[in-house]
Amino acid sequence: MKASLINYLIALAAIFSLNFILPRLMPGDPMNAIYGDEALVAMTPELKADLIRQFSLDRSWWDQLQSYILGLLQGDMGFSYYYRDQVSTVIMGALPWTLLLTGLALAIATLIGVALGIEAGFKRGSLFDRGLVAGLMFLGGFPDFFIGILLLLIFAVSLPVLPISGAVSPYAGYHGLAYVLDVLRHLALPLASMILVQLCGIFLLTRNTMVTLLAESFILTARAKGCPEGIIKYSHAGRNSLLPVTTATGLRIPNLLTGAIFIEIVFSYPGVGSLLNTAISARDYPLIQGILLIVTLTVLTANFLVDLLYTRLDPRVRYAH
Amino acid sequence: MHIDSMGIITHDLMARVGALIMGIVICMAVFAPQLSSFSPHDFTGKVFLPPGQDHPLGTDSMGQDIWARLLYGARTSLLVAGAVALFSTALSVLAGASAALAGGLYGRAVMRVVDAMICLPAIVVMILVAAYLRPTLPLLIILISAFSWPGGARIIRSQVLSLKEMMHINAARTFGAGKGHIIASHIIPELSPIISAQMLQDARRAVFMEAGLAFMGVCDPGVISWGKMMHQALAFTYLDVWQWWLVPTGLALSATLVGISLLSFSLEAAMDPRLRSITKHGRARLA
Repeated sequence: MKASLINYLIALAAIFSLNFILPRLMPGDPMNAIYGDEALVAMTPELKADLIRQFSLDRSWWDQLQSYILGLLQGDMGFSYYYRDQVSTVIMGALPWTLLLTGLALAIATLIGVALGIEAGFKRGSLFDRGLVAGLMFLGGFPDFFIGILLLLIFAVSLPVLPISGAVSPYAGYHGLAYVLDVLRHLALPLASMILVQLCGIFLLTRNTMVTLLAESFILTARAKGCPEGIIKYSHAGRNSLLPVTTATGLRIPNLLTGAIFIEIVFSYPGVGSLLNTAISARDYPLIQGILLIVTLTVLTANFLVDLLYTRLDPRVRYAH
Repeated sequence: MHIDSMGIITHDLMARVGALIMGIVICMAVFAPQLSSFSPHDFTGKVFLPPGQDHPLGTDSMGQDIWARLLYGARTSLLVAGAVALFSTALSVLAGASAALAGGLYGRAVMRVVDAMICLPAIVVMILVAAYLRPTLPLLIILISAFSWPGGARIIRSQVLSLKEMMHINAARTFGAGKGHIIASHIIPELSPIISAQMLQDARRAVFMEAGLAFMGVCDPGVISWGKMMHQALAFTYLDVWQWWLVPTGLALSATLVGISLLSFSLEAAMDPRLRSITKHGRARLA
């Protein structure tokens, strides 16, 4: 627990230093490097002087570091010249959509993956098991953005049944239930692509754990004392197969968020991924830095929560410390 | 652990399909000039031509032959895959094996770095660095390698830790074998199946990351990349061109990824006796 917390702090410190050092290592004026040539042309001299003063860019590295840290503590991540707003405001506007998408995708994919994994692992070698293993393994080989593109082409371009982009219908002015339905309709395709991508790993892990667990002696004991098969399947083997799935969820979170970034770009979903896409094409460096920071923070927080959950699920971990 | 890799490829269906797919992709890359009559950079006259005699997959928004670009794109993917597999696996072996053999403060420090790097969202970090340094192909290869090695280092370290305590290595030590001899003639040969599995995984990640970064617009402007082609094609889904521009490119990328995965799965199954007995068992029941 403590060790993993230290790891998270090291990771965070690495991102902070990368964000601080990278623009200042570039040749030429740091202002130029932080904001890029394109942004400087668009900036007024007042804004430029203001930013130089704010980041102490006319002073030593030490002073710059101090004002950088001070700014971050106040939630100031710089100024996005493309959106003409504070980076933190811009990102906070997009983050809820990404969290909605990833949170739902993780929950649903885990639910389906574990359920299918338990069934397939219990009936190892059956047609159901082999079909699922082969099918999901094949699907899991596809890159996330291509699965998204395929769903987009099938359900939004060829058969226009679902909206092609965005998160809500513009200017529709829905309220209450109609608004929720509209959000869900827009969410359906991005969510389905993310679930399809994530399902393979969760399913294979649960299935393989089930297969290993079913050979253990406590299962033999349960069978010997006459436990019904359903109880062995769910309460004995199924419940224990949740542990590796939880550990793997923690490791899957960075992957999940980058997957969401790709999917959002495909569907122009207004989350952090689309923001990153805009930031890259506009060369809005402070915005890219801010996104990196927020994505890292989200990943580390989620990892920490998974660690907490793990100690609740497995009492051995709690007593060991 | 002695694994006859040729034996696996000739006997396992998964490996055979994987090898076949990779064989086709490699042929596409090697014989690209013979397989297409256009240069991938040339403007051929008309934009958005449907597939026809001259252009098997039509032309794109810049009037370039899509088939030629698809062939040359395979070169980029395979180049990145090969280079990253070499660099990243070398780093994994170096870091993992040295952490296991030296141990102590150095070993702990290396593993701390590995643990911290594993929780970072690698793609976003790469985008930031590549955006500042202006992406070129060598830079992308270095960046992808720099973020791919930690997972492998963990696996190699645990393997070396258990190898180090094995009976035959202790025996060699009692005969007076030096550290260098033990590493070169006992540890490295025993690691070779794990190293080759690691290289396949790194190659798969590299193909995916290169395409993913290019799909987000982070790529070497002078290089033809499947990810960049998909990025360009995605802007024209309202025309019919996606049928011969977006879909074939995506399929080529997916086939490459699936091909590498299949090879890597079957190598893993061959290395892990538990998984192997499972598949054998399943087959035995089938028969």
